[in-house]
Amino acid sequence: MSKYISKKDLNSWLNKVRDNRRLVAPTKVDDLILFKEISRVEDIVSDYVNTDLSPKEFLFPPTEVLFSIEKKNGGVELTPARVEKETVIFGMRPCDAKGVVALDKPFLEDPTDPLYKEHRDKTALVGISCLKACAECFCSSMGSGPDDPSGFDIMLTEVKDGYLVQVLTEKGKALLPDSTLSESGEAKPKAAEVATVPAKDVNVKLRQNFEDPYWNRLADRCIHCNMCSYVCPTCYCFDIRDYPNKGKTDRVRSWESCQSAGFTKIAGGHDPRANKGTRMRQRFAHKLLYFPEQFGVSHCIGCGRCVKSCPVNIDIREIIQDVQKLGAKGE
Amino acid sequence: MSNNKNPLLPHLATLENVIDLTPDVRLFQIELNDADFKAKFDYKPGQFIFVSAFGTGESPFGLTSVAHRKGPIEVAVRKVGTVTSSMHDLEPGAAVGVRGPFGNFFPMDQFKGKNIHIIGGGIGFAPLRPIILTILDHRNDYGDLFILNGARTPSDLVFANEFDTWAAAPKTRLELTVDAKDDNWTGRVALIPAVVKELQLSPANSVAIICGPPIMIKFTLTELKKLGFADEQIVTTLEGKMKCGLGKCARCNVGDKYVCKDGPVFTFKQISGLLEQF
Repeated sequence: MSKYISKKDLNSWLNKVRDNRRLVAPTKVDDLILFKEISRVEDIVSDYVNTDLSPKEFLFPPTEVLFSIEKKNGGVELTPARVEKETVIFGMRPCDAKGVVALDKPFLEDPTDPLYKEHRDKTALVGISCLKACAECFCSSMGSGPDDPSGFDIMLTEVKDGYLVQVLTEKGKALLPDSTLSESGEAKPKAAEVATVPAKDVNVKLRQNFEDPYWNRLADRCIHCNMCSYVCPTCYCFDIRDYPNKGKTDRVRSWESCQSAGFTKIAGGHDPRANKGTRMRQRFAHKLLYFPEQFGVSHCIGCGRCVKSCPVNIDIREIIQDVQKLGAKGE
Repeated sequence: MSNNKNPLLPHLATLENVIDLTPDVRLFQIELNDADFKAKFDYKPGQFIFVSAFGTGESPFGLTSVAHRKGPIEVAVRKVGTVTSSMHDLEPGAAVGVRGPFGNFFPMDQFKGKNIHIIGGGIGFAPLRPIILTILDHRNDYGDLFILNGARTPSDLVFANEFDTWAAAPKTRLELTVDAKDDNWTGRVALIPAVVKELQLSPANSVAIICGPPIMIKFTLTELKKLGFADEQIVTTLEGKMKCGLGKCARCNVGDKYVCKDGPVFTFKQISGLLEQF
């Protein structure tokens, strides 16, 4: 027997959630399916394979005030930003939950980033497992999978007229108490079949072939639009700047991309990564080599969004295959 | 590491004094406002802090003072970008912010008993001053001290007002060099690598610490190696674009290291072992 909730009961539960929390869920925006704050539960869509963007922005916003700076009586007063509302992110896929697990690593390791931690503490992740995969999905090769519950507080699996429910954490239990659920003898449906990519030991190959001209060849066609970084659920490089705001100043953190020219340029003009090839290598070395070796988890979760959005068809799945062949005889 | 609970939130501080070192480099003497934090604030030669010019932003600077002298925190700042230009506009009494100290440090304990060659170019000399001050204040702990300070022109030599003190210290030799002289200069006109070659610095029981622009480091390294210095006898600091100092913003990521956490101090043996060359 498994825990079960009917679609009707789920909707009344979501309505209750929305009453006293920020409810974030997939909804239709023009031709896209995006995570948005939901005011009417009816606006939540469920007929998507995956959302066009991950909900990363609700934990690590594209631009976020870290603290405000006010000049007062000859001195300065700093007021750190706070996260006011509890949030429930509903309808995430397992790859994106794995993305949050990866995002946690740099931000929650000592010294913890307090603003990220507050977002994280006040957010519950409710996901739905994948019964269908998209053409670009390769999660099972990157340490995740279509029915991988890791990172979720609650994971649902769609069955006829309702969902099988896995309550995975105390936070999930508090949000969706047992009394809301019934029992069902319905068998768990088969998870999606996901294409595979030979990612095993790609870090070793990448390290061995770090100076290969492959990266320069690949970068020739990159137009450094940075889309890959912005759609990525795990990319976390950031910039910090001061912006004036109504007589005060905000110190603002914003997303930055390792693909942008000047990412590493220092005062005085020296830029250790002045060419596109070294920047392209940085992106894939960080995802497939440095991050996994530093934190023990992959920094690519196989969602395929960068593959879909790259205007010049730079495809991490092909790169992983190519890197595996680098240095082999006959290359 | 900072004692502040929020590592991105600066500690408020006051600019006590601003001293012109060269036409575009100023020494900023900073006092922390919070007495408790000030009492706990300790740092070692080679470490760096972020200084906030509130309203413009913050940037990382190598500390050029030494903690054991109990004076104000000092950074030498060349006016080169937006934050440093804002800092140059500040006057004594201005409120600034400090985060840090960050990074590793020069292994002064391992340097004990050795002859120390300090080779600095331009503003790159600033993070080397704490090594000199530490040695001068514990003179018997170290062997001979050789200081080579080079700059583009005589007026660009930093810490000129301390040259007499350094040159007069026991077992200490100070050499100055410039790329281009002015009317009053009677000293050396040569690039730093050429001076290293000419003076035949000895690698015996010694360590060389180089800091300066990448091109100067590159050619000085070549000369030192020709003189017989091994990679582990040559120490430098790496520079990297930095936003946090905490190993999070990933801007100073070089190979599988972070300049802010694993550095900024590296031996050339460590640098040649890095995947990526900065």
